[in-house]
Amino acid sequence: MFKQPKLRSLTFADVLINAFMFFVVLICFVPFLYMLALSLSSPKAIINNEVSLFPVGLNFEAYKQIFTYPNFFKAYGNTIFYTAGGTLIALFMSAMFAYAMSKRFLKGHKLVMMLIVFSMFFSGGLIPTYLLISSLHLTNTVWAMLLPFALNQFNLIILINFFRAIPAEIEEAAIIDGLSYFGILQRVILPLSTPALATIGLYTAVFFWNDWFNGMIYLNTNQYPVMLFLRNIVNGTAMIGDGAGAADKSTIAMSIKSAVIITSTLPIIILYPMLQRFFVAGLTVGSVKG
Amino acid sequence: MIKKKIAFIALASVMSLSVLSACSSNNKNNGTASPSSSASPSSEGSSSPEKKEDPLKFSMYYADNATLPFKEDWPVIQEVKKRYNVDITFEPIPIADYLTKVSLALNTGNNAPDVILYQQIKGENASLALNGAIVPISDYSDWTPNFNARVKEFGLENQVDSLKLKDGKRYNLPSLYDKPFYDGGLILRQDLLEKYQLPAPKTFDDLYTVLKKFKQENPDSYPLTILAGPRVLYRMTMPSFGISVGKNGADGSRTLSWDYANQTYFPGAISDQYKEYMTFFSKLYAEGLLDPEMADPIDGDKWSQKLATGKSFASYAYYDQIGGVAGAATEDGFKLQMYPPLAGPAGAHHQQKSSTGSGIIFPKKTANRPDFERLVKTIDEIFFSEEGAKLWCLGVEGQSYTMDGDKIKYADDIVNSPNGIYKEMQLKYGAGNDVTQLVWVNAREMTKYDENYGQINATVAAMDNAIQAIPPTPMFDDMIAEEAASLQTPLYDAFEVWADGFITGKKSLTNDWDKYVKEMKTLQIDKFTQLYNDNLK
Repeated sequence: MFKQPKLRSLTFADVLINAFMFFVVLICFVPFLYMLALSLSSPKAIINNEVSLFPVGLNFEAYKQIFTYPNFFKAYGNTIFYTAGGTLIALFMSAMFAYAMSKRFLKGHKLVMMLIVFSMFFSGGLIPTYLLISSLHLTNTVWAMLLPFALNQFNLIILINFFRAIPAEIEEAAIIDGLSYFGILQRVILPLSTPALATIGLYTAVFFWNDWFNGMIYLNTNQYPVMLFLRNIVNGTAMIGDGAGAADKSTIAMSIKSAVIITSTLPIIILYPMLQRFFVAGLTVGSVKG
Repeated sequence: MIKKKIAFIALASVMSLSVLSACSSNNKNNGTASPSSSASPSSEGSSSPEKKEDPLKFSMYYADNATLPFKEDWPVIQEVKKRYNVDITFEPIPIADYLTKVSLALNTGNNAPDVILYQQIKGENASLALNGAIVPISDYSDWTPNFNARVKEFGLENQVDSLKLKDGKRYNLPSLYDKPFYDGGLILRQDLLEKYQLPAPKTFDDLYTVLKKFKQENPDSYPLTILAGPRVLYRMTMPSFGISVGKNGADGSRTLSWDYANQTYFPGAISDQYKEYMTFFSKLYAEGLLDPEMADPIDGDKWSQKLATGKSFASYAYYDQIGGVAGAATEDGFKLQMYPPLAGPAGAHHQQKSSTGSGIIFPKKTANRPDFERLVKTIDEIFFSEEGAKLWCLGVEGQSYTMDGDKIKYADDIVNSPNGIYKEMQLKYGAGNDVTQLVWVNAREMTKYDENYGQINATVAAMDNAIQAIPPTPMFDDMIAEEAASLQTPLYDAFEVWADGFITGKKSLTNDWDKYVKEMKTLQIDKFTQLYNDNLK
């Protein structure tokens, strides 16, 4: 009886919805396919506009060339390190902070909250921030990438509200069973918060993966993330064009640009489906009776 | 549970370690910074009879262009290190972000390198210089004998003098050109000219005839396209009309132009010359001779595509790029050729060029080095001595080239490279790179190109002042610079909007011109001109 409805014939609305979803998927997918095709095509075919969704004149020259760029792999490794390390630190700090802030009986939590919100709207600006990081002696160390971004106000607010939504009764039960607050955070709250943690973890990971600016201003050349490399190749020659000369002269083959885009964005895209399984909310439903 | 506990402890220990090591790296930083500066005077003092010294250590910002990625092991760099006994820490910074990084280093003074390459003293740098963030290198001219000699040799005393700021000091060691290069200009399909039996264009009216013919034969094409955007067209063609305005205008004011006869600035953006210029190009646009996409930036790929596939036949661009397009074209007999500047109402002129370019600056901090004198002298020798200049231009003798009498013979692998000599030298040897090469001798450069290019350059050089000098920069102090900037921005914004309107025909040059002039006057273009003229020397 329950399985019967699945066999019903497709209504017009179903077709429409499916067609629409297919269209949306296509919109997201085609640019990547196009990039991939470009990166594998011969420059001649690209200039003559022959490439659409499949490579023309299949070759791997572009990939060979970017892999021989000095520092490409080094930069790649740096980015993986910043992303992994930065996300771990950020999740750890945010969870600790947010748990404390989620307790309304904590004295002064409103003041702290105001400070957090204030810093969302007003920041010191580039040079004061740079001076701060510099006088903390973080410049030219990897910590300049990892520490300043450990707490993001927006993520913090998401997490605080998520923690607050967890029924207090669960915690009371845990206290009665003899758990300390750290124990509760670790054994009760965090396991129940995987959707929120996965969400902000993803935000943070994407932030660290994409960040080139902080790397550029705070770090040494050999600590640069791969995004700076990508930016230089894709944008470098276009951006500097104002200089009225030299850079307008130089062009980089489209196949190389595409290959760099593919290699430097693929890993973070792959992360999405892998985190999918954490996005299951509602674990606490039914945990408290009456 | 236990697994989780372990993970928790691991995370906690990572955190605490991070705090600790951040502290320890502080100490390290402090540790290395101070001893080296305090230790060097003793070594400097004791080994004063020069030579046999320790290698001179210094750090240097380098603007890294992705088309020729920096390699520490370029033969030229290895040779420089060996020959001049230096230990250079290069910091290659992507060129798109170079200015930001340099600005931070100079503004904060923290972490500034000892030497910064590829800098001009304009805009922010000028005000930083006036406020003491950059060493006034003209005060130390005794230490730069090679630079002085080159300036004298090329006869650039006036041009170099004009780089001085309001305080009468020069803050950089600019790159020096003996003769300006004609490296880009009108590029046309020579094979089509021959096919349609048209003579090579000499004036803008000729160009119109040629484009018209192209359009006639290929109705769905836009014969003239532009690389990068209108600014390239403007900067290369406006001088023939006696103006130079827009984003890349020669003097940087964007709305003013220099009157070469009377040696004063005039409001070029509302001049009759500009009206005439716009009349010509809006005619091209209206008749479908000018690529309508030129308003968006046309990047290198799209541009090559247009020319290679016969969607366009003419362009304003750079000679270097011809090879790539020709290689990709499928049409038989496809041949692009660069032509000398066309004659307009004000004669035949190309984009104005300076005989000085981006060069070296020393951040203030560097002057505190006890071995500052040695550093400046060494930099001078590396970049401006005859030997050093040759090294940066041609590479190591015997490796990338040999001398046959006084003719330069490049190594076989360079000559036979599909990249062309010029590009291959940059990529493989690090020679001929405009970040590190600061002395440019036209005749020497021409040996890196084909004969054709040399000939065009010779033709242009023989023309009457085809490439004019850059107009003098007014000497603003901080306050006036601020005032000029606040006038410049709205003027330029209005100019852009109107220029776009005029060229595309959205605004009529006959009916709307007065309204435009009135708007520019309301935005105080006259006062802006006055500011420029009042502060000339």
